[in-house]
Amino acid sequence: MQRTVDFKLPHFFNYPPYFTLQPVRETREKQVQLWKELILDYCRSQKMYIISLEEDFPLFSNPKIERSLSYEAKEVFLAALVSEGRAEWIDKSHKKCLILWLRIQDWANYILDFVKENGLEVTTIEDIRSGIETHGTELAGIDRGVLMRALRLLEQKGKAVIFKGSSADDEGVKFSV
Amino acid sequence: MRRRPGIAGLQNAAATRDKFRQVGENVAKVRTDVMQEQLATFRSQLEEFARKHKSDIRKNSVFRQQFHEMCAKVGVDPLASNKGVWAELLGIGDFYYELGVQIVDICIATRSHNGGLIDLLELRKLLCQKRKTDLGSLSSDDCLRAISKLKVLGSGFEVISVGKKKLVRSVPTELNKDHNGILELAQAKGYVTVEQVEKEFSWSAGRAIDALETLLKEGLAMIDDGHSDGKRRYWFPCVTLSPDASGSEAKS
Repeated sequence: MQRTVDFKLPHFFNYPPYFTLQPVRETREKQVQLWKELILDYCRSQKMYIISLEEDFPLFSNPKIERSLSYEAKEVFLAALVSEGRAEWIDKSHKKCLILWLRIQDWANYILDFVKENGLEVTTIEDIRSGIETHGTELAGIDRGVLMRALRLLEQKGKAVIFKGSSADDEGVKFSV
Repeated sequence: MRRRPGIAGLQNAAATRDKFRQVGENVAKVRTDVMQEQLATFRSQLEEFARKHKSDIRKNSVFRQQFHEMCAKVGVDPLASNKGVWAELLGIGDFYYELGVQIVDICIATRSHNGGLIDLLELRKLLCQKRKTDLGSLSSDDCLRAISKLKVLGSGFEVISVGKKKLVRSVPTELNKDHNGILELAQAKGYVTVEQVEKEFSWSAGRAIDALETLLKEGLAMIDDGHSDGKRRYWFPCVTLSPDASGSEAKS
């Protein structure tokens, strides 16, 4: 389990009823909204991309008040993110979820800005994920799947070309900025 | 022999009445003049006082309350109209209108969390955050005054007393005695259980559940099924202070 470094948990996280799905519509909406924001903020701060419903996840239980989310509640909150395009189910059985704290489109823009700033018109996928320039940016350790989709989106728009290197994990990108 | 009433007698009587009336009018006029003079003096004195202490009135909540009491005693309502001499002079009307607007803001913003019922202390705390001042600079009295001015909007702003607490209601929910009782009971721990309510008030299970379900539907309560004893808890955000406020309350 990852440690929650530099992350201030919101007040509602210490208020027990937020761990039970609320039956009244308006109250439920507010509850879902708060959890959605929390999940996105948390994943962003911890650079996490995948949440698995069947594994422990630090956000889904609070030992301090002895409460944890039911499976159903987790699924409701993640499904709400999915419906907004801020997350995607990876598997058909809805057990693993990819969290897009930046949408693919936003990632694409972020990458373009990053490339412009650092003059990296030609680079490799691995360098984008873990190169020196990447340190301290949102791109550090980006999920490979997310990165590839952002790049393919750029490719569609004619702003990048992905090319194969000598081996499979040695793909390169040429940006036209 | 007794003189019979004649014309002269009648005229005499009429003249006397006239004299009396004149004198009376004179007296009344003099009195009115004196009163008006006094009032003018008083008003100018009060204006001078207000001008001199304008910043105190705006800044110091105790002073503000004393000023209001003084005004109330002489039958002046500095908040009655924003065009009144007091408001123009003091900007004191503005103070409460601004406060009123901020109160409406906060009540609406927190409504989905607390169902439109907020603890006065919590409201004050949020107001101070918004105004970037400390809690001492804004008294409960100020808030109550501002809220009383909101009544003209007809939007159902009201202050209700539940136990020791004052709660500000911004949605026109009908709370009956049962609901008030439950809210009061919930102040101890922030939540109640059906069992606890039944026992405390000697109600039937139906009555307790009915009242709790109403509070739930109104958005005033939230359920919590996560406790290890398996008993459903009904939490009331309006009587539960946010963590940083509970500390300051414990001290005071």
